[in-house]
Amino acid sequence: MNTDKFLDAKGLACPMPIVRTKKAMDELSSGQVLEVHATDKGAKNDITAWVQSGGHELLKQEEENDVLKFWIQKG
Amino acid sequence: MSKKVAIIASNGGLFDAYKVFNIATAAAATEQEVTIFFTFEGLNLIHKEAQEELPIPAGKEHFQEGFTKANVPTIPELSMMAQELGVKFIGCQMTMDVMGLEKDQLIDGIEVGGAVTFLEYAKDADITLTF
Repeated sequence: MNTDKFLDAKGLACPMPIVRTKKAMDELSSGQVLEVHATDKGAKNDITAWVQSGGHELLKQEEENDVLKFWIQKG
Repeated sequence: MSKKVAIIASNGGLFDAYKVFNIATAAAATEQEVTIFFTFEGLNLIHKEAQEELPIPAGKEHFQEGFTKANVPTIPELSMMAQELGVKFIGCQMTMDVMGLEKDQLIDGIEVGGAVTFLEYAKDADITLTF
């Protein structure tokens, strides 16, 4: 998948994955895609909810060896 | 749609601090407008020295290890991050007088106000929380 920015949030605990995602997203423009990797298990629901409340779109989400990966398109 | 979150922090332990700052930081990162009113022991959370060493409830000291292991940010880090994200801190003037606290003993960038200052903000808040 085409990614405009990559954020490594592995090893960070709540609420840091969300804070870092917000900051990374602020640097993108509408339509660009942010790829986030996180290991905080809460991030699965948190990032999904964050994407929804911000009017963005979660294009894809997968899990690989305890790493949660998200592709978020900025709204 | 931006929402307004009003939080009252009235307890001064480490667990209380995490509850307050985690919710506030997460809300601010979700584009919500957040104000925290610090009153009574809650003032410890924004006291320059006290916020560095907030007490863990008796018998729960073993949690300290868990905080380190889980790579949770420290309270000074979290409170700074909350401010960076635009969270507004209000210290309760009346409690400060009772406890003999001056504004310069509290962290920078806070406001000092009375109950009405908070009520005025909270009257049309979408979410109100007390910790």
